Amino acid sequence: MKNFALVIEDDIDLSDIFSKALQTAGFEVEAIRDGRVAESRLQEIVPNVIVIDLHLPHVDGVTLLKQIHGNEALENTRIIITTADNVQAEIYRDLATIVMVKPISFSQLRDISARLKTA
Amino acid sequence: MTYLNKLIQDLIMVSSSDPDDARRRRNLNILILGLGFVLIIAITLSILAIGRSEIGGITLIIGGSLFMLIGTIVVYLINRYWSGVFSANLFLLLLIAAISFSDTPEQLSAGRSLFVFVIPIAMASLILRPGAAFFFALLASGIIAIFSLSTGKIPNSPAILGYFLVAFIAWMSSNSLEQALQDLRIINTNLDRIVAERTSALAQALTRERIEAGRNQAILNSIADGVIVFNAENAVILANPALGDLTEIPLQNLTGSTLNKFVEGEGLSLSDQRRVIGLIEHPEKTKTGIRVEWRKKFLSVGVARVQDTTTNENIGAVAVFRDVTRETELERMKENFIAIVSHELRTPLNAILGLTEMLKEGIYGALNDKQVSIAARVMVNATRLLSMVGDLLDEAQINAGKLSIKPQSLKTISLLETLHSTMDKIAADKGLFLSSELDPNMPESIKGDPHRLQQVLINLVNNSIKFTEKGGVHVHIIRAEMDRWKMEVTDTGIGIPENEVPHIFETFRQANNMAMTTRQHGGFGLGLSIVKQLVELMNGRIDVKSEIDRGSTFSIQLPLEIT
Repeated sequence: MKNFALVIEDDIDLSDIFSKALQTAGFEVEAIRDGRVAESRLQEIVPNVIVIDLHLPHVDGVTLLKQIHGNEALENTRIIITTADNVQAEIYRDLATIVMVKPISFSQLRDISARLKTA
Repeated sequence: MTYLNKLIQDLIMVSSSDPDDARRRRNLNILILGLGFVLIIAITLSILAIGRSEIGGITLIIGGSLFMLIGTIVVYLINRYWSGVFSANLFLLLLIAAISFSDTPEQLSAGRSLFVFVIPIAMASLILRPGAAFFFALLASGIIAIFSLSTGKIPNSPAILGYFLVAFIAWMSSNSLEQALQDLRIINTNLDRIVAERTSALAQALTRERIEAGRNQAILNSIADGVIVFNAENAVILANPALGDLTEIPLQNLTGSTLNKFVEGEGLSLSDQRRVIGLIEHPEKTKTGIRVEWRKKFLSVGVARVQDTTTNENIGAVAVFRDVTRETELERMKENFIAIVSHELRTPLNAILGLTEMLKEGIYGALNDKQVSIAARVMVNATRLLSMVGDLLDEAQINAGKLSIKPQSLKTISLLETLHSTMDKIAADKGLFLSSELDPNMPESIKGDPHRLQQVLINLVNNSIKFTEKGGVHVHIIRAEMDRWKMEVTDTGIGIPENEVPHIFETFRQANNMAMTTRQHGGFGLGLSIVKQLVELMNGRIDVKSEIDRGSTFSIQLPLEIT
């Protein structure tokens, strides 16, 4: 079964880049650009990897992250936080498998996510 | 006893504006009092002797004495209330008259009473002018001459000569006494004049001082900055109205207050109170002064010691408070602006980089060689732009005090590994070598903030590559001492002119003409400023040695903590 990744990023260009990087790494990818939409979608699906931005419309990334950690179904889901803010990166390090500080290059995300794939 | 003394003083006292006249009249009064006393005793004794003695003429003695007593009282009154000269002459004439009738003409002219006349002669020089003694000597001589002639004898010339000799001696002693008194009076007058001069000079100086003090106060009052002066015991000795306005403490509450009372109250937070006290007690520890929040205002505080100009003794401190609220707000706005702008710039730059990379990687179909090279150049330039934005953000965060150091355990070798993985290509692209060396004495893992250490090292190497055209860059990590380690970055670049070395760590500055170097070497010149600030945040220090056209060595010393 193909690995499944959810990209939650409001910037359309970054969302495309991240999605493409994950696809190239061998994931099936769904992209969501709104916090509230992500919130309800996460009740239905169990991605192997979630790439999440902290700044999101309607429901912010930190709130989503707390929900994810409270959801037993998502226990084994690997989380990549993407943020442009060094300070926030430090603060929320514990909420993620990996924290990536923007700028995030295509190849960087591709290679890192490839390592998170479950066989 | 004192009462008697006072009575005698009152009796003797005469009022006269001429000191010589006053002295003579006082002398006369003393003589009169003495004579009056003697006469009263004589009259008393004579009255007691009446009827018991066979001596004839006792009534004559009593009468003469009474006559003399009345005479002296009259003379006393004249002396006291009218004229000293008249009374003195009258007194002496009375005395001579009394003497002239006190014995037989024979005895007076050549016998036992001959020298009684010496008494008025000597007295004359005391109660009249000194020369008056000669007049009474002449009068006495005339009287004994008349007595001699009336008894058919020739005048007693040795006696006359004796009178004049006594007059001469009396004149001399009185004269020298008067001369001495005269000198004394001149000295006194001079003294009075000097005292008057000194007093007036002192009064003038005091007036000048008062004017000067008033002027200084006026200057102090018109200064827009708040000025407060403390003595060595930290008591407030002076404060100007501007200080009262800035701190909203009434001036009258400040004068006589103390340093502790001054900083306490609602104005300052506890930590700012401690900072202000620390600065005022040890101004030499802070070079630039401090900035505190006082009520709603931001105040900068500068403090200088007040030292005695001659002894260099510490006599207090003067503190100047300036309202920097507006500047502080502007700085905050600037910092926020930079942070927001940097943040907003990153997202599109990230997209440009990512999208170009995808093109270059052939995700959307294979590119020809020329297209790949163009995509690579877009990426290089976007990366440069991104690093400048990163520098701006770091600088803004450091300035805002938001950047913190998060030490953790890190592998020493990882510093060099990351350096090579990031910078090897950049150095190689410019045809430079990038070598590194790790001191075997360095512990395998140390405590430090890996992100910040990496940032410092990469910034320094990047800077060296920027200013090096041939040769390369060498990085050396050394254990300097037991508790210190060093990162040294040595290049073979253009070097830094000696006069520029102190400025290279300043924000927005590169050695030489900034506009030109910025264009040539890229960047805002923030790199070194950030490095220095980061190193200082990590309790380290940065030094630079440089030689024009030979290269530079940046060395960073940090405290070593082994994990």
